[in-house]
Amino acid sequence: MLKVTLQKIWHKKWMVLCLLLGCILLVATVVSFPLYRHAAFDRMIQDEFDQYVDETGLWPCIDKMTVNVKQDRGGATITKMENTLSELSQGMGVTPKERIRYYYLAKSAIHSTMNRTDLWLDGLRLAMLSGLSEHAKMISGEMYSEKGITEDGALEVVVSQDCLINNNLLVGEVLEFDNMKDADGNKIRLKIMGVFEEADKTDFYWQIKPSDLKVAAMVNENVFRDYFLGENAFRYTMTCNYYHLFEYKDLTSDQADRLLEKSRYYYEESSIRSILGTNQYREILQSYLAKRTRIEAALFILQVPVLILLCAFLFMISGQMYDMERNEISVMKSRGGSSGQMFRLYLYQSMFLTGIGAAFGIPLGTVFCRILGSTQNFLEFTNRRTLEVTFDESVWRYAAFAILGSILIMTLPALKHSRLTIVKLKQSNALKKTALWEKLFLDVILLGISLYGYYSFRQNQDTLAGQVMEGQSLDPLLYASSSLFILGMGLLFLRIQPWVIRLIYVLGKRFWRPASYASFVENIKNGRKQQFIMLFMILTISLGMYHAVVARTILQNAEDNAKYLETADIVIKEVWNRMPTGPDAQAVSGANQFIEPDISRYSTIPGVAQYTKVYVDELAQVNTQDGTKASATLLGIHTREYGQITELEDGLLAKAYYTYLNELAQEPNGLLVSANFRDKMGYKVGDSLQYTEQFGRTLTGKIVDFFEYWPGYEPAPLSMQADGTTQRTDNRMVIANIATLQKDLGVYPYEVWIKLQSSDNTDGVYTWIKDKNIHVSKFRDRSRELQKVVQDPLLQGTNGVLTMGFIVTIILCAVGYLIYWIMSIRSREMIFGVLRACGMHKGELFHMLINEQIFSGVLSIFAGIGIGHLTSRMFVPMLQTAYAASNQVLPMKLIINQMDMNRLYIVIAGVMVICLLVLLLLVLKLNVTKALKLGEE
Amino acid sequence: MDSKKNENLMIEIHDVGRVFHTPSGDYQALKCVNAGVREGSLTILKGRSGSGKTTLLNIIGALDDPTTGRVIINGQNIGGLSGYRKEILRRKRIGFVFQSVSLMPSMNAFQNVEFSLYMAGIRGDHRHRVEECLKMVGLGSRMHHMPAEMSGGEQQRVAIARALAHHPDIILADEPTAELDSAMAAEVTRLFQEMTKKEGVTIVMTTHDVGLMDAGDMVIELENGVQIT
Repeated sequence: MLKVTLQKIWHKKWMVLCLLLGCILLVATVVSFPLYRHAAFDRMIQDEFDQYVDETGLWPCIDKMTVNVKQDRGGATITKMENTLSELSQGMGVTPKERIRYYYLAKSAIHSTMNRTDLWLDGLRLAMLSGLSEHAKMISGEMYSEKGITEDGALEVVVSQDCLINNNLLVGEVLEFDNMKDADGNKIRLKIMGVFEEADKTDFYWQIKPSDLKVAAMVNENVFRDYFLGENAFRYTMTCNYYHLFEYKDLTSDQADRLLEKSRYYYEESSIRSILGTNQYREILQSYLAKRTRIEAALFILQVPVLILLCAFLFMISGQMYDMERNEISVMKSRGGSSGQMFRLYLYQSMFLTGIGAAFGIPLGTVFCRILGSTQNFLEFTNRRTLEVTFDESVWRYAAFAILGSILIMTLPALKHSRLTIVKLKQSNALKKTALWEKLFLDVILLGISLYGYYSFRQNQDTLAGQVMEGQSLDPLLYASSSLFILGMGLLFLRIQPWVIRLIYVLGKRFWRPASYASFVENIKNGRKQQFIMLFMILTISLGMYHAVVARTILQNAEDNAKYLETADIVIKEVWNRMPTGPDAQAVSGANQFIEPDISRYSTIPGVAQYTKVYVDELAQVNTQDGTKASATLLGIHTREYGQITELEDGLLAKAYYTYLNELAQEPNGLLVSANFRDKMGYKVGDSLQYTEQFGRTLTGKIVDFFEYWPGYEPAPLSMQADGTTQRTDNRMVIANIATLQKDLGVYPYEVWIKLQSSDNTDGVYTWIKDKNIHVSKFRDRSRELQKVVQDPLLQGTNGVLTMGFIVTIILCAVGYLIYWIMSIRSREMIFGVLRACGMHKGELFHMLINEQIFSGVLSIFAGIGIGHLTSRMFVPMLQTAYAASNQVLPMKLIINQMDMNRLYIVIAGVMVICLLVLLLLVLKLNVTKALKLGEE
Repeated sequence: MDSKKNENLMIEIHDVGRVFHTPSGDYQALKCVNAGVREGSLTILKGRSGSGKTTLLNIIGALDDPTTGRVIINGQNIGGLSGYRKEILRRKRIGFVFQSVSLMPSMNAFQNVEFSLYMAGIRGDHRHRVEECLKMVGLGSRMHHMPAEMSGGEQQRVAIARALAHHPDIILADEPTAELDSAMAAEVTRLFQEMTKKEGVTIVMTTHDVGLMDAGDMVIELENGVQIT
């Protein structure tokens, strides 16, 4: 049987190669999904934590425990808690980073042994912080010794600078508690050995900062244990704090679920829940998991059409193969071959193919995964940050699923064919059947569902944006409706196409040459056979187009938006020093005078093309016409420089961007204000507007114009309300001449907006800031924000999936079409022989085949292009809403990249040309006598 | 036989020989065949499988060229024609009936016959002629059936009607009865006889069926490429 199978495979090598290609692509696509998901989600979890650290400067992964202990017999409670802590850290299954114990005794009155009366303290806490000596650096004096007790029995302590200054203590001073005694009944004495501070301020060890230790004297941990814990614990009241810091760098996506589950147990169910403090990481994990679910669903749904196409491809090619072998099968059957034998023959064949498919497909899947991870834009790749590809059990599960699926797809038709005897074959040939989908009106149903989806989402686009922001998972129909629409339209086209052909045929019946006549009749009678390949063509082309448009649109809009919000290449706000307020300082207007840094320094930054001062006051208010105040952002700009540094896309404003700047420039007291002043508050051009800056001083200006959009301005952002719902709130913006503001208010800290010679080469700025030791209170780097957009896992994954889908689709489309036609023509060789014998010229035969191509292929291509365009125009805006960030301001632009379309057209044209060449070759090579089996020998 | 034109002869075969070049050496399929077929006659090419009768038929039908000798149809040496002229010849003057059923599967009986008229470049209303031919082969009531809905004999009769429809001078039939039972074979042969009489068409058919020999006006028997009668 195996030999027969292998022979059979060799005999149909081209067909088999196509099937193999299908198997490989199917396995690779399916496998790339868990691979990518894994890699991307692992990366994403790091990003989430990194971002938290970047933004807050805090370590997010901490479990805190606090216990107040009173009269603890034998120190049992504390011992138990210490054990619990190590249990917790093991139980969570995380890598510990740092374990910090901070114990302190209740504050107790103390006096100096030097009989000083100028001590400012009413009491001191005796405390210990584990690991202090390794992490602290001494400002003065020295750290407590290993022994921790002086010769004369005083406890060596160190204090923070705050403690020293606030309490007016002296280094070297010996203090004595008024009442607190040691186990032997002696009053406890302390000797202040030194003053410490953080050796490294960024070290996450400093959960308790020296500045928090204002009334604490720190002793050596061993001393603390000797004196106050264990057997002695019952004498004292103390508070024990435990900090368990763990590492997130090795946290994977899988562990995230487990960690959250474990921590949920500890924080909500376990007996220690009451002593556990607040934490950040659970919230981060929860938002990460929600995001992950959303991305997972989105990517999966985007991949489904490609998977369906792959399955359809396998089904089509194996169907062709069965058709070719129908005679063979039925003859074998009639000669007594059992159905089981036939079935096994095909089963072995498909197993053989999928085996090879898997062997190549799985490695190819890792390549796909890397492609997914390195997609920067649609069909654009970068190797800046590669994904760690790891295999785990889920990858094998997916692979097994794909293998099983392709075996099923390839063998199931055999079940039908293996029952076929020659008699039944002839009978079935005679039957004309209407396809099931036509009878069920599947096209109409699919269109109905998709249009329902279209209208309902269209109506509720704002709700949709809200849902996205609230992190709700979106209706799968949102994603699916476009695919359903494509399928429905494709089927509808198939329903209409025969009537169109028939109409053309009837209209021109008198003029058709024999070749056209034959092809018309062939198409009208046998067109149904081609429905599958036609549908396949339509789906591949329209999906390819749709995916290209989706990918481009989503990314381009996100990038445009980020660019708009970021206003300039670089924004720097320096920390300004205040003017000394001595008697010799000139009192200008108000007390708050700043020293303006030398702005000309900015021209020395390497790579800077231009810079300008921009005064930004986000706490300004405007006096509305009904007398109330409304918040607004006040911008002071130098119009000419501002216009050279910022830009605004054409079409967003009623007039050209520069017109607005010119209007402002001509009126020193002029104001440009956001359009909601006009639309909601009733202001007109020429009205004077009173506004109050952050320090409460009121100014008046004259409105020169209104704008809908301004670089960085969000007219009405969606914001999350306290009850978790979202709502749009109006933002107001007032733009004045910076010279006027500075004249009236004085010079206040402003931002410097910089335009770079090359907008993504920001290295010069960073080195300048570092080298010149510039203290920065605000820093924005547009290229970094844009990079964030590109690397957003959702956008990047979407781009990756769509790019890969596009490539796979194009391959399938090309191979599928070619193989279908070659097979379809070869199966009709005899008929062509008859036609040639009857005197049909080669040219006419060729003409006839071209006609057939036009009726099915070319028509489907045009239908596919049309449907692709229509689907893009209808559904991309909806899908874009689902992807848009909550701060999406600019109106959506549909990006139909002509390059992508051309790529698609070129591939299709290439396929058609190859197809025609193959046809030509077949026609030329066609041996009439051989085709008709006329010749002897 | 001399080469001067004979008024009564539709097909003249002069010293026709055919050698096939195969990897295992040359193979002489026909050796010096001579014959003259009268206009309006039914000629039977007889011989066993491999005797060269189909090769001869292909040469007469301008589907194959003889290695030696020439074939003259209606006074015209077809060996001298270009490929294109040969195609025109096949289209207009010859009708073919093949052993295996060779109808266009996507066309019904009527369309199959009509198609040969198109091919021959006959325009205008030919409904009448198509019906006439189909009635002649006894399929007047099954004109709109598809080939797949007909029996082998019926399909073969459609093929005969198709070969006849465009008023060819010659009908060449290669084993038209091979796949039919003897009664049906006799019926097909009777049809050919009727057609020679009614339409005046010259018919050459090959067969290995000994029972049909008497039906022909002339019999050419071949054995291993050599003419024996």
